Amino acid sequence: MDPLSSISAIAASGMRAQGERLKVVSENVANADSTGNTPGADPYRRKTLAFEELVDRALGASMVKVEQIGRDKTPFKLVHDPAHPAADDKGMVKMPNVNPILEMSNMREASRSYEANMNMFEAGRDMRSQMIDLLR
Amino acid sequence: MLDGMSFFALASKRLDWLAARQKVISENVANANTPNFRAKEVSGFEAVLAGTQSGIATTNARHIASTGGDRSGTRVIEDANAFESSIDGNTVALEQQTVKASEVSESYRLATQLYRKGHELLTMSATGLR
Repeated sequence: MDPLSSISAIAASGMRAQGERLKVVSENVANADSTGNTPGADPYRRKTLAFEELVDRALGASMVKVEQIGRDKTPFKLVHDPAHPAADDKGMVKMPNVNPILEMSNMREASRSYEANMNMFEAGRDMRSQMIDLLR
Repeated sequence: MLDGMSFFALASKRLDWLAARQKVISENVANANTPNFRAKEVSGFEAVLAGTQSGIATTNARHIASTGGDRSGTRVIEDANAFESSIDGNTVALEQQTVKASEVSESYRLATQLYRKGHELLTMSATGLR
């Protein structure tokens, strides 16, 4: 396949991967306060995601894919709130291990990378239209 | 017939090389957040011009020279100028790649314009009209 056509496929794979990342970030942010509802129950555990290079043999191009969506193993923070349904016998409630600052920077990076892929897509399209213009 | 003329052959080689280069840049950008991904780059245009290069390097005398490989004869190598940018072993710097991509786009525009000019020249000599 010619390089100009594979550019759009590669950029699309990049955008898909970054979109997936943004999805995970928004899940984390949305669940930043999701606690359990039985005493001592575990709250929402932050999701993580890892990218992996994917070599497409038909295209001869190295694309990107989401390798796995994992769970963050850092411990939960404890908050004293005896009235909470998830409070244990000491009145402590486990809160999700979501760090809003971390999620925010992750979100920024994902949207920047998405933009960069979009620019590559446009550059490839521009090159192709120049090639087509030669026929006029 | 057109391909046999050195000017058009040169322009299409250049276009092929630039397209291959842009493809490698878009691979780098797509993998900008992939752990342990090393930024890539294609070998220089001089090597394509010299016609000494095929898709696979023959680093040993007993290697069989490849006749296939990329149509443009470009070889993808690890980018020596990429700087280590993150702790996950990824060497892609988006800024660097963006600069390169716009460079390639401009060169592509130049090459297509040259191609067009060459064609106009031929038209003029054949018909006497502009």
